[in-house]
Amino acid sequence: MLTVKNLHKSYKVGKTKYEVLKGVSLEVNKGEFIAVMGSSGSGKTTLLNCISCYIPSDDGSILLGDIELAKLDEKSLSKIRNEKLGFVFQDFLLLDGLTVRENILLPAIIGGKINNQIEIRAEQLCDIFGIKSIQNKYPADISGGEKQRTAVARAIINNPLLILADEPTGNLDSKSSRAVISSFEQAKKSLGATILMVTHDSFAASFCDKVIVLKDGTVWRTLEKGTMNRLDFQDHLLSAISDMGKE
Amino acid sequence: MMSFSALYSKLRKKNIGQYTLLSCCCFFSVMLITSYIFMMRSPTILDVLPEGGDSRKQVMMIFVLAVIGCAVFTTYAAGLFFRQKSKETGVFLALGASKKQLKSELWKELSIISIISCGLGAILGIPLAYIIWSIFRLFIVDTEEMALNFDINSYSYIIIFSIYVIFMLFIMGYKSIMKTNIIDIIKQTHSAEPVHSVPKWFGLVGIILLILGGFCGYIAPSIFILGLHWYPPEGLTAIFYIPALIGLYMILLHTVSNGWNKRKKYKDIISVSMMKFQGRQTVRNMLVMTLLIAGAYFGSFYTPMLGTGAIMSFDDRPIDYAYHFRADQNIPKKDEVFKLADKYNVKITSWADVPMARLGVDGEMSVEKETSLGTTWESVYYNLLQSQIFLSKSSYEALTGEDININSGEIAGIMDTSGDGQGVFGGDVTLVTNTITGESWSFKPIEHLCNDILFGRYVVSDEDYQKIITGLPLDWQERMVFFNVENDEQTYDFAKALFNEIVDHSGKEVAVYDSFDPILKQVHEELYGYYFLDEQEPPNYDNRNSSDFRMYWQYMPQFRVLDKADFIKTTAVFLMLFIFISIICFVAVIVIAFTRCITIAISNKKVYDDLRHLGASNNYLNNCARSQVKKVFLVPIITGTSLIYIFYSMIMFFNDNRLTFYEIAGLLVCLVLIAIISFVLYLIYRLTLRKVLNILKI
Repeated sequence: MLTVKNLHKSYKVGKTKYEVLKGVSLEVNKGEFIAVMGSSGSGKTTLLNCISCYIPSDDGSILLGDIELAKLDEKSLSKIRNEKLGFVFQDFLLLDGLTVRENILLPAIIGGKINNQIEIRAEQLCDIFGIKSIQNKYPADISGGEKQRTAVARAIINNPLLILADEPTGNLDSKSSRAVISSFEQAKKSLGATILMVTHDSFAASFCDKVIVLKDGTVWRTLEKGTMNRLDFQDHLLSAISDMGKE
Repeated sequence: MMSFSALYSKLRKKNIGQYTLLSCCCFFSVMLITSYIFMMRSPTILDVLPEGGDSRKQVMMIFVLAVIGCAVFTTYAAGLFFRQKSKETGVFLALGASKKQLKSELWKELSIISIISCGLGAILGIPLAYIIWSIFRLFIVDTEEMALNFDINSYSYIIIFSIYVIFMLFIMGYKSIMKTNIIDIIKQTHSAEPVHSVPKWFGLVGIILLILGGFCGYIAPSIFILGLHWYPPEGLTAIFYIPALIGLYMILLHTVSNGWNKRKKYKDIISVSMMKFQGRQTVRNMLVMTLLIAGAYFGSFYTPMLGTGAIMSFDDRPIDYAYHFRADQNIPKKDEVFKLADKYNVKITSWADVPMARLGVDGEMSVEKETSLGTTWESVYYNLLQSQIFLSKSSYEALTGEDININSGEIAGIMDTSGDGQGVFGGDVTLVTNTITGESWSFKPIEHLCNDILFGRYVVSDEDYQKIITGLPLDWQERMVFFNVENDEQTYDFAKALFNEIVDHSGKEVAVYDSFDPILKQVHEELYGYYFLDEQEPPNYDNRNSSDFRMYWQYMPQFRVLDKADFIKTTAVFLMLFIFISIICFVAVIVIAFTRCITIAISNKKVYDDLRHLGASNNYLNNCARSQVKKVFLVPIITGTSLIYIFYSMIMFFNDNRLTFYEIAGLLVCLVLIAIISFVLYLIYRLTLRKVLNILKI
């Protein structure tokens, strides 16, 4: 589904060049729920922003199916973002001037695919994520958890190949975080969604099938949940992160 | 079902505040510029402001300042608009909207905003100018020459300014969409505009540069003209003011970033740090405001300076009624004047009527030459340079009642009592020529006499006077009449009637400007091939109540009661134009300061919320907000006001290396004016502060 090979990205601040990604490679298969973890500055968010082509990468390849994203022109890239990718941001990025329902429908409106079917789907998503009662409210009138669930529903509305989520629980309390993670699980289970989530939260990551741990811009280790239950996997993650700190 | 356009339109409705702010700024700037340009290019004004004269240059200079100010605040408002819109743009792009799709929507709304706001501004600017002018006419003064005409060609200037506004909007809009990094677009709303660390010495060096630039800029033309005998191009001397501008920027930067009071460093830490992160734009706005304040006051000072000096000089005149006329003119004689006085129940208490003569004199003149370096000049002595009016010793004594001592072979020039006229005084005369007989006599200049009415004339002994006027025809002779009346203040109707009689009895041949000189005309024609006054329409007796006629007719009588009562009327266009300019500049300052303060409040709202969560009391938050608003309002106002006052005093002083009594009085009246305007600005500051506190919920 998604193959990232030898991805490089650096930033220049004044005359100093900071290499953030130093050849990251990873693979995400259809239907997988994968987390990317790592300490602050390890390159998690940069990796996600490069995959979505929000920021241009320096080198390497990003294949979505058989499409090389980095080589696409602006127009094709917009089409891919609209049809094949879904995004969930840490600070939600809902438009304050639109209702919850309109925010969910936004990708479909942008793509010019608004019809009865998509409206019914929006209705269903509101139902699935428990936000039906607030669908006519504006973002300013709802809680952080509700905002993020709206953002998840928006990411799913166009039935994308891959959902990219950047610290989706970063701004939420534990109850709301749980609700958002449940919505991802729900999306995976009921809709067959594939999710790549950047997080620093081991609790959120413990719900994933696989966790890719980044360290200093490279993949340090990939941890598979396999047959482990969630609590054991969370312990496993914490111990791995603790090991990483010792190195 | 909602289309992308409908969605865009819904967001527009939700964010109507941002659109209103941008539209209002565009509208205001175009309207202010329109009314200014229409006023400046109005035939009413152009007829009064002499071409190439200082007044016209000042009006133009302040206009340039107003254009820069309006351009800066419109650009700033556009920047703010696109910053606030950037989240929306970023989200659209992140969710797969194409740039083409966004551009098409943005172009639609920018076209509507720019065309409507610029169009309305351009249309309503004219009524604005007309209304302000009509208010002047209604409440202050109304004369026939104040009837306002507009020149439709002024629209070409408005179109240029509107094109700037429209292009600026579209270019900034294009740039806001075309960024490659979507994350940067999304985060743009929250990004700060930091001032990179400003060294502590910026304040002191700024002050030094400001003083140095102001001084160099002021004396540079004198050095070029008097020292190097070279007339530099106008732009060149302006370059010498650049250090002053840099100095001003450094001072404002230091004020915003470092502050002047080190002891208060921790007390003001929050407000200073918040201002720092709005740095670049704040300082730029403050600089424009400072310059606009300076321009506005420069315009405002014109009226009190001119008015105070003139009104005081009327009171100081030694005689109630004075007039002179060419001896060949059929001007009412003594008995006719007395008859007219009787008709108006005016009692003439003293009368003096003496002959005067126009004779040729020697002197030095700056002769201009075109060289490869531009225009240079050299001082050349002429035996016969110009003409001057001469009186005999006994005539002078008869007019003034003074006893003076002038021996044969001596000549005394007459100065004014204040010394204001030093610059236009003809200088010492050593050779006098009877232009009809061609005979010349040498004279020895002695100490000047002082008389405001006879200023600029020369006195010789009675014997010499008789000698030098022998053979002079009547058109080279004049008569001067002085008389006093009882209850001068109540003789306006008589004064007006006598003035009309004099004008009605004056022939076409004496319809000349006061600077017209028949001998200088010959010298100029021989030297340059033309005389500058020949290109101008002579004073028109039909416009006898116009400022142009009253100020510049060579034989204009000086009747205290008439001059005093009609002063405002005769100088109305000048005065009103400068008041109008001041109003436009002050309005621009208020609009910039208000929008800047509101922006600061909106962008720092979260910081204030955080401070509240950290336990800051309402009192503390109030002080922080007050400190920020104070900085935006007070720093430019105090800086601009002090600078222009010092600069204006400097101009007055360096005119003749001293401040005359009238100038000091004028400067004091300017101080009163500053106090009044500052009070109005303070009220606006209070209103703005209240609005800011409302936004911050303090």
